[in-house]
Amino acid sequence: MDKASHLSVILDLSPVQWHLFGQSTNPFPLSLSSFLSQLLAFLNAHTACKDENTLAVFGAFPGKSVLLFSSTTGISEGDLGPADANTYRPFKMLDATIMKSILEELEELSGAQEESPLGLVGALTKALCYINRTSSAASSAPAARSEETNLPDPRILIISVSPDQPSAYIPIMNSIFSAQKLKVTIDVCKLFGSDSVFLQQASHLTGGSYIFLERPDALLQYLTMSFLPPPALRQLLSVPTQDKVDFRAACFCHKNIVDVGFVCSVCLSIFCQPVPVCSTCRTKFPIKTLQRLNASKPPAPTANRAAIPATSLPRSTSIGSGTPRLTPLSNGNGTVHPPSQNGTPR
Amino acid sequence: MPPRRITNIDDSDSDISILDDVDIEARGKAKGKGKAVDRGQSSKSKSKAKEQPYAWEATYTRSWDTVQEDEAGSLQGAVEDLIARGRRRRLLAPAAAIRRTIIRHLILILDLSASMLDRDMRPTRFDLMLQYAREFVTEWFDQNPLGQIGIVGMRSGVGERAGEMSGNPQDVLRAMHERHKLEPAGEPSLQNAIEMARSSMSHLPTHSSREIVIIFGSLTTCDPGNIHDTLDECIKDKIRISVVALAAEMKICRDLCDKTGGQFGVAMNEGHFKDLLFELIPPPAQRAAVSRAAGASATNLSADLMMMGFPTRLPNTSPPSLCVCHSELKSEGFLCPRCAAKVCDVPTDCDICGLMIVSSPHLARSYHHLFPVKAYKAVESLVDTPNPSPTCHACSVNFADVALPKPGSAMEGMSPIGRYRCPDCHHDFCTDCDVFVHDVVHCCPGCGK
Ligand SMILES: [Zn+2]
Ligand SMILES: [Zn+2]
Ligand SMILES: [Zn+2]
Ligand SMILES: [Zn+2]
Ligand SMILES: [Zn+2]
Ligand SMILES: [Zn+2]
Repeated sequence: MDKASHLSVILDLSPVQWHLFGQSTNPFPLSLSSFLSQLLAFLNAHTACKDENTLAVFGAFPGKSVLLFSSTTGISEGDLGPADANTYRPFKMLDATIMKSILEELEELSGAQEESPLGLVGALTKALCYINRTSSAASSAPAARSEETNLPDPRILIISVSPDQPSAYIPIMNSIFSAQKLKVTIDVCKLFGSDSVFLQQASHLTGGSYIFLERPDALLQYLTMSFLPPPALRQLLSVPTQDKVDFRAACFCHKNIVDVGFVCSVCLSIFCQPVPVCSTCRTKFPIKTLQRLNASKPPAPTANRAAIPATSLPRSTSIGSGTPRLTPLSNGNGTVHPPSQNGTPR
Repeated sequence: MPPRRITNIDDSDSDISILDDVDIEARGKAKGKGKAVDRGQSSKSKSKAKEQPYAWEATYTRSWDTVQEDEAGSLQGAVEDLIARGRRRRLLAPAAAIRRTIIRHLILILDLSASMLDRDMRPTRFDLMLQYAREFVTEWFDQNPLGQIGIVGMRSGVGERAGEMSGNPQDVLRAMHERHKLEPAGEPSLQNAIEMARSSMSHLPTHSSREIVIIFGSLTTCDPGNIHDTLDECIKDKIRISVVALAAEMKICRDLCDKTGGQFGVAMNEGHFKDLLFELIPPPAQRAAVSRAAGASATNLSADLMMMGFPTRLPNTSPPSLCVCHSELKSEGFLCPRCAAKVCDVPTDCDICGLMIVSSPHLARSYHHLFPVKAYKAVESLVDTPNPSPTCHACSVNFADVALPKPGSAMEGMSPIGRYRCPDCHHDFCTDCDVFVHDVVHCCPGCGK
């Protein structure tokens, strides 16, 4: 580890998901407090690896996103409490700041707020803005162009426990493309719940690793073995990479995740079934096309498949064999939704 | 029919500069009407180019002339001026989604006649053209991932197909890779080359755009027939022709562009040449979309609904199997979502079931054209704000406490206290984040959309 590296961590702190995760009916339950203690050990390890390593921690709460800690902003000494002879001072500062801000934010959450969608997009864009500002400040000031101010190998680690929000599809894709432009690697550590289609694409497109933890109780081991080394070192260590990348997208009309979609040729909006008018750009499609597509559409399975959430994709399908990987659904949900005119993605 | 020379060329210097002024004005008007979006940038660079001498008059490139130091010897003022211009350009752009042609087909016609050996652009017109054409292709595919490009050369009075229409940037770049195969010779023939390009685009579906970009260094064209007939055919086929001329304006070139709705420009120096060429990269806003939509219930003929499949990518650690496209044994590949056949690369049509397979990031790359982030308002003072946040909502940098008095018209649209507020979520952002959010991320960190 010759060069310093910057790490931005995005924590998914959805109270509902963490409650579900901590329940003892899970094969490997993990409570928020034991998660945080393992995470803090990992963050301390990152700052200990090299003196110049920088760190920023963002929290994604329902309906909002907050910068919990950043190594560039100073912390008031009074918050730290009495000195502890057994703790290295920077570690203590980091731990105390993160715990304090998480507690504050969680207490602020009201009951109604807990239901609002997770602020993952906000946290991701903030992390990108943070990296953009710190790295551009370093490169635009020629005098200050020293090792410390530069952010070499910036990377973002997303620790996720929530399922995909299809409404966040476009903002997440936009964030991925800006991460590519900034040469930021996005790593994803999925602790709980189903595989995330969008986060898989994020790590694949930015050259990071997406790891689904089979044994969440071994979290600290996964973190230190896979996510502690900077991307430059990963090739030597053969960090586990993704099994398969699911390139599915969310339809604009119902936010379903689809694998066969109908695409407007003008604006490339994706719909889960043939629609007469594009809801995004108001283009009318020829009737002939609609008839042709309706006829060629496989009757029940397509409608069913369109409604399959990301969860039901089998995790390990036999690869290369000629068998279709589709698992037929018999939930009686084969109804075709009426075309929606107002469904613009937001 | 014997070749006939067209020699109606405006080649006196004064004429050219007058025509170019008109061109600038016309573009400015188009911007005001909101028809063209990113023109502010280009007309700026154009006027910059206009002040500079012609390439053959200049002895060396002086890129630092465009940046001026202020009294204190700092470049800060110049940088802020650039940012302010960018902000004003954004405010002028229409906030509503505009239609853009996203599935594009383009034939790049390169002049390979002897006149390309001129050295008025360094090192030669030919080498510069090849270099810029390669950069153009790379950038074009980045912004139009579903498009296709073909290459046609004009040499010795005929059109030569240098590269077939392809959606793979590597294929297109390979066609231009071998310099000796493109060695300039003889006279160019606009008509032959355009006819060749037209015939290779005749089979395309109606919803895709057909475009021709001509890089033209000669002052003559050597045609077997009447080029105006070819022009009429192109109008009928809805082919847009754009010309970047390296020598001087030719009447026929301007006609080709004006009558087909393309852009015409005469490059004055190396930088201007690149600007003209790169202006053609963003997907064009669809012309006359409003009038056509208003025109009763007539369906838009150029639009269509396409069925597409989004594949699953297999890693190179999966068990090897045969691909359906080359029948080769390999591990990595993409699975067709409908028939589970394995193809090597996307975008493509599935060889088994015919479904068009694209990876969804290809589509998603263009979505920021559709849903732009609203321009942030510059905050003039904090008098009306009850609890101003002390830090930028995105990057958490501290805002300056006191207003810096910055008189001058150049600062129009800039906030004196460095705060920019989102009209939707009412959070404040710093200058860096304002630029970054609008130019790169295309997503407001406060609203999360
Ligand atoms: Zn839908
Ligand atoms: Zn559309
Ligand atoms: Zn193949
Ligand atoms: Zn297929
Ligand atoms: Zn900021
Ligand atoms: Zn906002």
